[in-house]
Amino acid sequence: MSMHESTTDRDLYQTADPIVEIRDAEVVFEMDRGVSRVLESADLDIERNEILGIVGESGSGKSMLASAMLDAVVEPGILSGQITYHPDERESVDVLELDDRELKKLRWEDISMVFQGAMSSFNPTMNVGGHFTETLDAHNYDVEAGMNRARELLSDLYLEPERVLEAYPHELSGGMKQRALIALSVVLEPDVLVMDEPTAALDLLMQRSILSLLEKLKEKYDLTLVFITHDLPLVAELADRMAVMYAFQLVEIGPTEEILEHAAHPYTRALLNATPNLDAPLSEMRPIDGSAPDPVDVPAGCSYHPRCPLADDTCVATDPDYHGVSESHGVACHHWAHAAEEIPFNVDAAEATTGGNQR
Amino acid sequence: MNWFIKRTGQAIFTLWAVATLSFGLIRLMPGGAADIMASRLQQQAQGSNIPREQLREMVASQLNVDPDAPIHEAYYQYMSALVQGDFGNSIRYGGQEVNAIIADTLPWTLFLMSLSTLGMFAIALSLGAIMAYKEGSTFDLANTGVGILLSSIPYYVAAVVFIAFLGYRTPLFPVRGRYPSGVDPGFTVEFIGGAFHHAMLPALSFIVTGYGLLALTMRGNSIQVLGEDYVRVARLRGLPDRRIALRYVGRNAVLPLYTSLLISIGFMFGGSIILEILFQYRGIGFEMNEGIIYRDMPLMMGTFLVITFGVVIALWIGDATYGKLDPRIKSGDDSEAY
Ligand code: SF4
Repeated sequence: MSMHESTTDRDLYQTADPIVEIRDAEVVFEMDRGVSRVLESADLDIERNEILGIVGESGSGKSMLASAMLDAVVEPGILSGQITYHPDERESVDVLELDDRELKKLRWEDISMVFQGAMSSFNPTMNVGGHFTETLDAHNYDVEAGMNRARELLSDLYLEPERVLEAYPHELSGGMKQRALIALSVVLEPDVLVMDEPTAALDLLMQRSILSLLEKLKEKYDLTLVFITHDLPLVAELADRMAVMYAFQLVEIGPTEEILEHAAHPYTRALLNATPNLDAPLSEMRPIDGSAPDPVDVPAGCSYHPRCPLADDTCVATDPDYHGVSESHGVACHHWAHAAEEIPFNVDAAEATTGGNQR
Repeated sequence: MNWFIKRTGQAIFTLWAVATLSFGLIRLMPGGAADIMASRLQQQAQGSNIPREQLREMVASQLNVDPDAPIHEAYYQYMSALVQGDFGNSIRYGGQEVNAIIADTLPWTLFLMSLSTLGMFAIALSLGAIMAYKEGSTFDLANTGVGILLSSIPYYVAAVVFIAFLGYRTPLFPVRGRYPSGVDPGFTVEFIGGAFHHAMLPALSFIVTGYGLLALTMRGNSIQVLGEDYVRVARLRGLPDRRIALRYVGRNAVLPLYTSLLISIGFMFGGSIILEILFQYRGIGFEMNEGIIYRDMPLMMGTFLVITFGVVIALWIGDATYGKLDPRIKSGDDSEAY
């Protein structure tokens, strides 16, 4: 493994035709009690027209990774690294080098985002239609054509366009608001849609129906979807590839099926074991022992070692590099090869994985 | 709609209750208003004895309350006079109609109040918004301190201080009256300018002691709204800053202050009595005080009723229009403006 580490290292997070390339992205916050590193040297490619699921506990840095793609990290966070956007027919764009005007164009026109907290993403004193027109207007789009598109989008999402456009946010249910927000985020026909916990506040049934709507939307509008969640079973059904985050780092990347069946990182395996059944509600999940690390004081070496049953002196001393499990499956762990035997999937998880795949 | 009817009903009930109460006062006060009036008329007649019958009629015409009529009849007379807008005749001003006095003074009180309210809200809203944008800066901290300090001063103390310093020590503003003497009322620069000049100190007394808390509330609201998801999303959607400041932050931060506006109108109506006395400003509060001093029951009741009327109407308008401003209240039985 170690002999061609540097080469496999590259290959692992690279894809054939990436639409967004993230290299060495870091987000730091200067705090009173020290520098808080909430995203650590993230390398990731997002393949054109794929659905990529990014999974992690809350506070694992996954929201930062999402915001980074639009250079939208909230103040006073500082984002560094390189993020390149490769549009279909135009020159590649270095996102972090854009000036304000260009950035304004990139956001929502090329890369759009649905935030955590759709319930409060609409201005309570403006009707939903107003949000669409002002967005079209601000980007100098033809408002009439745009509104026709908006109506079509809304009905694609099983909403009554006229009713929803005239309604004020408080008059819509959570699920309706969420769908209206998705329509709003793609009304400027972006290539990439990043969604941060888009279903967190919804009930199980609504979550499922939104997922299937998203799949349809993706096909119809040629979208690349990045789906960020703490809910592994949810993303397992939807995503082509998955990336797992732990303690502000990407610890494992690979095709969904491969990760579900041959997860190589002890954390990913624990996460899968903590999920009794892919259809089970979140509340039935068993937590993983130990707690997520503090961003100011991340453990030395492999940051998972305090919780990892495989941890040894090497893990405490050195931060693991990426190792290739297969061509497209990478993992940041010294002892990945032993993870499967040391942390067997429990029966439920095995059922769950096969169950998940048969759907 | 239901809610609207309910509100209107409440407003009308309040007005009716106040009018009835004032009738009760006139009629039933021990050594009642009617007796006072009668003895006063007797005095004015200077010795020559007025026949009792004539006295009764005079009292009745002036108070709208006939002391000898049975109570229900008297009440009916009184109320129907009120509904027709007849408040009787003033004793203080030698039998002049109270209506005419109110017509002369009410506009001045309204002028003073609008000036104070507009000034106060203009200052408080813009200051509060700037403080919120510069949260934690020296500007913010200094203004917070000053705002709290000034808010703890009663407006009449401020008025006295202004009279002493800006009126006498450095005579920048006139300290009494409504407009310069010797200027004829009309659409002339002298008159209008003079009226503003005269209203300046009374208005400042309200503004200086009232803007602070309002500005702090605005600051708090704005900070809260600035942290809302919808503002962040609006920025990412690339909306112009101006639109975000006005339509997103401004509107959502100002809305809760609408209630404060209504309360401050009520407060100013009440406060206008003391302030108008201090500045010898012949508004409705000033006349009410005259009525009290001269035991001029019709004048007192007339001004009192008009002030009450003003407050009730202001609150009613506020209530009825709040739903237009805040869509969340539109159909709302569940939430009200205050
Ligand atoms: S590197 Fe060591 S501590 Fe980290 S996950 Fe792998 S085995 Fe566990």
